[in-house]
Amino acid sequence: MTATLKSICDQCTSLNNPRLDFIPVELARHRDMILRDIRELVAAASAELEKTVAILAGSVLEGILYTFIKSQENYIAERRGVFVFDPNHSLQNYVSIFNKWFRDVLPNVVIPDIVVDYRDLVHINRELNSAPEVCTSASRDMLRIVDALLGELGQFAAPAIK
Amino acid sequence: MGGLAQLDLATKGGEARLRALLEDVVEYHKDRLALAVWYGKSANDADHKVLELFDTPGKYEMVRPQRFSLLWKTGSQGPPFVEIYAMSVEHFCERHRSDAASLSQFFQNFEVLYFNKVLLNGEVLQAFNLITEPSGLTKGWYISADEYAKANTLRNLLSSHDHLKPQLGFLKTEESSDFENCRGILHVEVNQRWLPLSQAGLRSYTFFNDWQDDRPGYLLFQGGSLYRLLKFEVRTVPEYAARVLERPRDDSYPEVYLRSVHIPEQPAA
Repeated sequence: MTATLKSICDQCTSLNNPRLDFIPVELARHRDMILRDIRELVAAASAELEKTVAILAGSVLEGILYTFIKSQENYIAERRGVFVFDPNHSLQNYVSIFNKWFRDVLPNVVIPDIVVDYRDLVHINRELNSAPEVCTSASRDMLRIVDALLGELGQFAAPAIK
Repeated sequence: MGGLAQLDLATKGGEARLRALLEDVVEYHKDRLALAVWYGKSANDADHKVLELFDTPGKYEMVRPQRFSLLWKTGSQGPPFVEIYAMSVEHFCERHRSDAASLSQFFQNFEVLYFNKVLLNGEVLQAFNLITEPSGLTKGWYISADEYAKANTLRNLLSSHDHLKPQLGFLKTEESSDFENCRGILHVEVNQRWLPLSQAGLRSYTFFNDWQDDRPGYLLFQGGSLYRLLKFEVRTVPEYAARVLERPRDDSYPEVYLRSVHIPEQPAA
């Protein structure tokens, strides 16, 4: 049998001890919400709730990317020429922006497009159009992807937001 | 020479800013947008041209291009300007087949700003040289040992997967003479392109962790080939750079070794 969610979660050091130093102090509410969601994600994983974990991990991933990209607005603008953070973007957009501008500096956390499909399992038709065991693999992959992302971003210090 | 280098940097910086402004315009048109191409590129011009293809039914084509300031967000009416020429994918393809010369302007010094490959066909991808996967890539799905045990037949496995979006890609690098064993580079889709999985990336996936935990699963590929995962091995092979879309910094690739599995196509009578 595939490893239990709890056993995987126990090994996710960044999820169990999240370092959110990449979040500027000005974004305290973002930090609180992400921390709350991570706590709920760990609780869901400990209770082996596969669907909850797949969806909530997608939500945590979106929260992390949203906050990270917002806090790195000036860095992206410097590289791109101009960049204004859009709070109404989709998860796909945030994944795409992250991979485009941070893959060279954070090569260990390339985020695959499939995370969007996993998060979209919240819609019944998406699950119906997926493999029968999708929540089993999605929940496990998502836990590890979020943990790896948190681990990498842990090395970032937050810039001051102008 | 120092002066020339600075001039080049200034041009590059100007082009990056222009590209960003054009991408921001395209961002506002994303509903059913399949492709946006900056054509006739010249960073020093005041006017810039963009072709947008939409996934709309029928043969739509804008009669006159739309022209406005790229600084529209600031309320400016001044340069630089963008001229947007829009049409449907269907109309573009029909013209490409019947009168390619009439589209030649779009292929002059062009750069693709945006594409959504789900809304495009192979004809457009090829026309604009959009390569989203390496040649010879086979796509498929991971089947855990539990799922495999439940399925019994290849038909059951295929019927539960062949209508689904593939999860991973496999680029064969070596095959035994009896075709029973092979090894290759695993790929995942990143920003619509199939890229090789890194050693660090591999650790996030259930197929790798199941194998590490002595529960090796299977890979089912489109078309119906089924393989059992035997082992993973990280190899440094600079020559692979020519075969993949993006070369890893250290030229090291985690390769997967597979063995062909033969299970009944259908349940026994």
